[in-house]
Amino acid sequence: MIHDDELWILSFYRRSEISGALFFGRLAQTIRAGPIQHDLTKHFSDESMHAWYWTDCIEKLGAKPIQVDHSYQDQYLEAAGLPVNIMEILAITQVFERRVIGQYALHRALPGLPAEVEATLNRIMQDEKWHIEWVRDALVSLEPEYGAEHIARTIERYAAADRQVYERTLDEHSGRLKELIARSRRRGPR
Amino acid sequence: MIDGEKVRERISTFLHLSPGRAVDGAALTDLVTESFVLVQLVIDLQEDFGIRLDGEDLRDVRTVGDLIAIVVSRGSPQS
Repeated sequence: MIHDDELWILSFYRRSEISGALFFGRLAQTIRAGPIQHDLTKHFSDESMHAWYWTDCIEKLGAKPIQVDHSYQDQYLEAAGLPVNIMEILAITQVFERRVIGQYALHRALPGLPAEVEATLNRIMQDEKWHIEWVRDALVSLEPEYGAEHIARTIERYAAADRQVYERTLDEHSGRLKELIARSRRRGPR
Repeated sequence: MIDGEKVRERISTFLHLSPGRAVDGAALTDLVTESFVLVQLVIDLQEDFGIRLDGEDLRDVRTVGDLIAIVVSRGSPQS
């Protein structure tokens, strides 16, 4: 049976993937046909699948997802402000995807992870690599319209908001994270 | 040139408003239930009218009339 702190974190991942899917789904519905719409729609589909993977993973560990009130993205948009054009959407996505892949990599490095969690992290991280690539390429394609410097400044603005939210999240949940790490160490490598 | 009435029509269609609600003085926050719908609307207008808006453009936009004015100004040859 999974410990409460681990269940909370996996449920938080699930909630954040759902938020991502809703965000990209609504944008995919709004923007017009073209390469960005194509990839954004695939991204929406991936995020939905990730939410399903976490749901399935939690159930395989003998638990049920718990309700988590706020996703990482909710806090993010509050700190950074709502994006108002497609470049800003992609810039915030790039920063967010880097954070996700970093967080999942940290989690995967913990010793003694349950096999289901490790498999889910591996599965999702494959998709995350593509997410970073397509968003990076799309931002390059927008350089003639928005300017490379303006895009770089926008990414930096969102990265600053991301650091602020991540630090706050770590502070708020430091007890849970410490417990997760301690339990992993006690379990040791599989 | 972008026709302001076409912009009004698009706002009305996008937000599923009944006729006569998208008047100049209508506050945007009264017409939408959540802020992300406004993001979608702004992106939809940029896509539909082939213009680009940024946060600075929208800083003082409060009403339907304000939004129409900024879209029209971005579509004018001087902008």
